[in-house]
Order: sequence, then C-alpha cells, then structure tokens
Amino acid sequence: MQHGFYFDHNVCVKCHACEIACKTWNEVEVGPRWREVVKIETGTFPNVRAMNVSMACMHCGDAPCQKACPVTAISKRAEDGIVLVDQNKCIGCGFCTWACPFNAPQLSATAGKMEKCNFCQSPGKERPLDMPRACEEVCPTGAIKSGPMSLLATLGRSNSATRLAGRGAEGLPGLMLDAHERFGPGE
Amino acid sequence: MGEMRNLGEDLARIKSAKVIKSFCYTCPWQCPTEVFVRDGQVVYHKGNPESPNNIGSRCAKGMASWWLTRDPDRLKFPMRRTNPKGEPGKFERISWDQAFTYIAEKLQAIAEKWGPEAVAYTCHHDPNTVFFRHLLGDLYGTPNNYTHTSGCEQDRRAACLTLFGHPFPMHDFANSRYVILWGMNMLGANQGLWESRALLEAKKKGCKLVVVDPNFTETAQKADEWIPIQPGTDGAMALAMCRVIIDDSLYDREFVEKYCDGFSGFRDHLREKDYTPEWAAPICGVSATTIARLAREFAKTKPAMSAIFKGSGYYTNGADAGRACYILDAITGQVDKPGNLHLKDWAPLAAPVNIPEEAKRRPQKPPLHVAMGYPLAPDLPNARLPDAVIHGKPYPVKALFVQSTNPVMSDPNTDLMKEMFRHLELGVAIELFMSETAIECDIVLPETSFYEHAEIRQGLWLGAEVVLCQPAIPPLGEAKPLYDIVQGIAGKMGWGQHFPYKKWEDWGELVMKDIPMSVEELKKKGFWANAIRYNRVPEGLATPSGKVQIHSQAYADAGFCPYPIYTERSVIPDAEYPLQLTHSKISMHCNVLTQNNPLLMEICGENWAEINSSDASKYGIVDDAYIIVESPKDKIRIKAKVVEGLVPGCISVRHGHGFGHWAMGSVAKGKGAHSNNLMDNFTNPITGANCYNECKVRIRMA
Repeated sequence: MQHGFYFDHNVCVKCHACEIACKTWNEVEVGPRWREVVKIETGTFPNVRAMNVSMACMHCGDAPCQKACPVTAISKRAEDGIVLVDQNKCIGCGFCTWACPFNAPQLSATAGKMEKCNFCQSPGKERPLDMPRACEEVCPTGAIKSGPMSLLATLGRSNSATRLAGRGAEGLPGLMLDAHERFGPGE
Repeated sequence: MGEMRNLGEDLARIKSAKVIKSFCYTCPWQCPTEVFVRDGQVVYHKGNPESPNNIGSRCAKGMASWWLTRDPDRLKFPMRRTNPKGEPGKFERISWDQAFTYIAEKLQAIAEKWGPEAVAYTCHHDPNTVFFRHLLGDLYGTPNNYTHTSGCEQDRRAACLTLFGHPFPMHDFANSRYVILWGMNMLGANQGLWESRALLEAKKKGCKLVVVDPNFTETAQKADEWIPIQPGTDGAMALAMCRVIIDDSLYDREFVEKYCDGFSGFRDHLREKDYTPEWAAPICGVSATTIARLAREFAKTKPAMSAIFKGSGYYTNGADAGRACYILDAITGQVDKPGNLHLKDWAPLAAPVNIPEEAKRRPQKPPLHVAMGYPLAPDLPNARLPDAVIHGKPYPVKALFVQSTNPVMSDPNTDLMKEMFRHLELGVAIELFMSETAIECDIVLPETSFYEHAEIRQGLWLGAEVVLCQPAIPPLGEAKPLYDIVQGIAGKMGWGQHFPYKKWEDWGELVMKDIPMSVEELKKKGFWANAIRYNRVPEGLATPSGKVQIHSQAYADAGFCPYPIYTERSVIPDAEYPLQLTHSKISMHCNVLTQNNPLLMEICGENWAEINSSDASKYGIVDDAYIIVESPKDKIRIKAKVVEGLVPGCISVRHGHGFGHWAMGSVAKGKGAHSNNLMDNFTNPITGANCYNECKVRIRMA
C-alpha cells in the first residue's frame, strides 16, 4: 500500500516547524534539507495572493531518482512504497538530484552521499507507520498528514484533492495537495 | 490511529529517552512540552498533547530551541569587565562568590549615595524575575522593576487596561464569525499556537478575516480581505468605522448603556471632530466606501473581534489608535463573549518567598515611568531611560540589571543605548550569551536555559492556567537559575533568610499553594488549566467605573483627550527621504535570541527589506540585491526583496532589530542588518512605547 503525504496549503502559515522537526528527529546536519517550505506569490498590488507549500520527497510510484541511480542505491520498499537510499551503496554522483523534478535528494557536504526524506525510517529511529511523521506531529495548524494514499484521498475535500504534477497514473508522486479552496484575498 | 497509546512515551522509547514535562521559553507564550532526555542530553522534544496551548504542536523557533542546550557560544561562568567603559568590554572569569560580593557592595554604596531608587531592573518576561522583585523591590526598596513591554505591545496593553481593566486579553477566534486584525501578524509571529489554529479553523467554518496592514503578511495572505492601509493611520480608519456604526445605529444599545462609560460623550466627540469615512479615506489610502462597508459588516456579523498587537503602536499616535480599534468591540457589545476578545482569568499564583512586612523598605521616589511623565505607561518607557542614566532626569539611575533582555540591540537609537551603559556605576547582564548589552556591562552572569531550570508561570490560554518548566538536564558550565542568583546576592546583603529554599520545589510549593494541584502532580502533567469562562463584563471590570471605559478620566488627568483622537504620526517622508520605514516580523525568529541557532539560520540566515515593485523601478532597485537604506541618522546595507505585497511609499524591514548582531555569538555575528540606529528615540507620549516606525529613509543600490 503506497504511503505518502497530504498537504493543506490553506492552513500552512510557512512557520517552517516541519523542517526543524524533521531535522531534529532524523538528526540531519545543517546543509541538506529533507523538507522545505516555500511561498509562491502572485498578482500585482493590491491584488496579491500567496500560497505556501511544504515539500519533501514524495516517494513517487516510478521514482525517477531510482531509475537514474547507476549503482542501485535507491530502492522502493515493497510493502509501503517508501523510497529509500542505501548510504553504503551511494557513490554521491548526484544523478538522482538531476532526475528528481522536486529537488528532493540532497547531497550531504560532509558525507558526500545522497540523503532525503525517508518517511522517518532512519536506522535506529524508525517511526512505525501508524504514528505521525515528525513533520506531521509538529505542525501547529495540522497542514501535513501522512499515511496510505487511499486514506489520504479521503481527507479534506476528497473529490477535489488533486495530485500534484501528474506524470501518468502509474508514476504519480505520493503527495495529495488540497488545492480546491482558493487562497488569500480575492480579486 | 493508536488513540490509546501515549505518543510521547512511544517516541521516547525509540530514542531510548526519558520524557520530562516542561515548557518552552523561546517566546513568552510558553508552550507546554515533552522533553526527551538521554544521558543528560536533550535528544528530542515535542508539544505536550494534553495542553490546550499548542495541542502537541510546536513552532520552528521552539522546535529548534534544543540547540540552546549545546550552543558552544553560551556563557559558562561569571565575568567581570577589565577595561574602562567606552570600549567594547573585555572580561575576566570570576567566581560566583566574587560576583555576588561585587554586586552587593555596589548596591550598598549606591543606596547610600543615591538612594535605592537609582537601581532599575529590566527583563524579558521571565516569571523567575519575581525573585529579583522581592530582592530589589521589597528589601532593597527600588520601585523600578520593569520588563520589556515598551519594545513590544505597550500600546495594546495600555489600551486594554484603560478600556477593559485587563493587561493581556486573549483571542477566542474559534467562535468568531468576523475578525479584523490591525497591524497584527498573528500567523506570521505564530506564538499562541492555539490562537493560530483556532483562527484558521474558524475561517474554514466561514469566519471572515480582514487584515488591515501596510504589509501583505502571513496573516494577510490568509485573509478574505487585505486592506493595505497607509502606515500609522489605523486610528483614523477605526474612528471613522466607529462613526458609521453609531450613525447607522448599528451599535449594541443595551451593552453601551449598561456596560460602557462614556458612550454618548464619544458619539458627540466623533461628530465634533468630524471623523467620517470621507475624512479618513485620503489619510488611510482606503476608500470611504470600503471603510463604511467594513464598519457595517463588522457591526452586523456576530460574534466579532477587532484586535491589535504591536503594529499600530509603532507610531507616536499608536495609543489612541489602539483604543479606537478596541472601542469597535465595545460599541458593538463584542467583549468577552464567545468569539470575542477574551478577558481571561489569571491563575492565583502566590509569591515564592514570604518577605515579612517589617523587612520591606518603601521607595522614597515614584517609579521612573511616573517621574518621567508617563503615568499611563504600563511598563518603563525604555527610550527615555538614557535621560535618567546620562542626564539624571527625572532622577539619577546608577545601576541597571538586564536579564534575558538586550536593550542595546532591541531599543531604538543604538548609539544612545550604548552611551547609556557607559554612564552606569553598575551594569549587570544576566544572560545566555555575551549579548550586545552584556558587552557594555560591568558584570556578566550566565543564566541557565529553560531546559536547565524551573519556572512556574501563568499560561497564555483562554482559561486560567499554570505552566511548569522543570530542569531536564544539568546547568551548562557554571550557569545558575535566577532564583539561585538572587539567593546569592541576598546572602551577601544580609537578607539570606528571606530566600531559604534548598531546591526549586521548596518555593514551588509556596507558589502553588492556592492552585488545586500539587507540585508533584504538576511535574507529571506539566500544566494546570481551569475551564474557560465567558461574560465577565456584567460582573464588573477592573476599571474606575467597573464598566468598559470609553471615556478615560485617567487620560484627561494626564493632560490627554479622554476619548481617542487622531493625530498624524511624527515622522513623514519628504523629498529628501521619500519612504516610510516600517517593520514586520519573521516566523523563524524570536526577538534577539534565536539568531545564534544554526537550524533557524539555515532557513533564514539574514533579514531583508521589502519594497513595492513600483518603488523598486523608481529607485532602480533589483530583487535580491543589496541596497543602502539611509535615514537622516544612519544607514544600513541590507538585502532587498521586491514585492507586490506592500503599500508603495514604504519599505518594510523584516525583523529589523533581531539581525546584524555584533556580539552575540559566532553564528549570529554579522548576519543581516540591524535597523534600530536608523531611528531616533521617539516615544509614545501617552504610553511610553518605543516608536520603531517613526523614521523616513531613502534607498539606493549598494
């Protein structure tokens, strides 16, 4: 059963707590950012709009990073679809960072290896899948949810929960983006 | 999913850690937490899921705060200045005993020569300052024990005290159907996490959110309407809205008759002054139609709330702007009912020590704010402190204690603030870092972080609440909790018997004596919360009339209009300096304390100045390039962000006084720009608030 994230931009206030919780739980050094919050602003004064998006690896169905890896260091776990990188195999070539459309894989400057969101499955710090991920647990406004994609599809306005960046039904990334409600001040 | 299990305990097991209930003191909202400790180290922490304050969640600043427990730049032992004042301090390590002796001797000498009133204490909002208040206030006899409000929500506090007799109302957004926020970036500051969540949940249920702010803030981003008002004109728009509501008879007749003092006088005042939407429109840059429409919507939709925090108070006209914004709540009867501004109950916390009456010394002089001519100031007018220290006006101040506060960095006119410290006979900093203020002091004492000491304080939630922070790990180096520092100084001054505690639980029992929870239970649970109570207005408020004080005799007695008036702010841009400097905050940083945290600096490592694209074209400014922002007083180099979400004619420096540290620590030092020396020390004439936005500037590419 493919697992992934649900994200409701309507309540994300771009506080970045998810990034810090991710980093703290998984003991990620300063440098690689497994999760990143960005703001997209549109319009012209005074009709301005903005949307915040918190993004991490989406554990894609046909993970392009996996295909690009020359040493098969990247694998997709059969039972939950989580995309993992084997640090022992990784040669730090960076092909995956070019292949990923979302900039999810990050090269560590100190280790010279690729790392990214592993759905809180860092060795020795694995969170069972029925617990919230660190990013989800910390979020002050409940903007992030994790779980099986079939369950996430029922959250929010399920009929309008759209999948980000369609790449063919098989290869959809594991992110539900509730983009139905318009955001910010109206025109 | 797993509703029967305890997430904190389960997660702690994964980290092989023990859970300690505590709270976070990165900002004064103090979210209750669960701190994971393994081998004397904090290895993770999360929100306390039972607490109504944060419902298990955290903000970025709080989440990153574990760095404090291992920051190599933390102060580790007491130090004394070795070089003359007037140059950045050089320090030598001394023992705690030497530090206590030095401070006690200086205090005794100052009391003999100048009187104890020549000693002032300022702090952030640490409840443990209560110990210092007992030492310096009760025993030593100075009335000058202050916090930091003049750099914060001083005007809001003054307005709330005047109108409602309450210093710090909460916001019951969860039940609101119409919310107007004036210069208040609730979701960007993201401090009361339950308030942020409640506002967004109310919105989902159809609450209309209107944000009146020159800046398209994180809160404006979520608003149904963003009203890009001209800076420093909130008062004009709020008064015009009051006029519409009264003229259209949309006010709550029963409420104003029964529970407000001065309604009819206020009605006549608005008419005499001719405050109308047509009058306000050109001042505010908001159409008269919009002002009238918002007034009618606000009055007709209930429950509703009109609220301010800091923004409206950054100008010399901010005090009355604040009163006007809250009078909107009063005349529509929207006070302390569900969905309104909430006049929360405070928990009956008792004193941590018992100072006998006969041991107390009565101050012989009025407190500084009164002597300075600001009797209505709820806290020290910080910008006027240099007058007392440098010029002895209204009376001399010779010693200053700064605890967990950094006025050289956070108050306007940096040069003057530095100069002030050079005139002190005794400057003591009690700090985590060698701050910009500490480096100007004579003695620097290392305080423990909130991971290393205990505090029991009021929780900032709707119901009466007590929150606890308890030591999770041993103190870093020789750092001491404030209660031990006070005990040490008191011992040297012959008052040791008044601070008899051996461990924090000893004074904790005294503090908790009227709370139906023992210290032991509190340690297990982390907080105590009472039920939410509404409708205090009919019970009578803590105002002179017991009613909502629309007419303020205290204002009249102090020489001001008893009703709010609109006056222009003090500094208006001109041909030479064509832009108004304004300030807004950043959600990843809190005040001047978080800039040495590499986790936060990775996300936001410098501040910036926002400028509208039309002004950018006019002055040849390129996005992401460095620019020079120059006032008549000083200039800074700062990164520009060209945006649409800002009123043309302004620049908005985000987190202006939190960046550009020159002392604090290796990560913070030299990052971003410090904007406080651009401005002079304008002070609100009524409340004594710092006026950070009273400044005009010109800009060019660096």
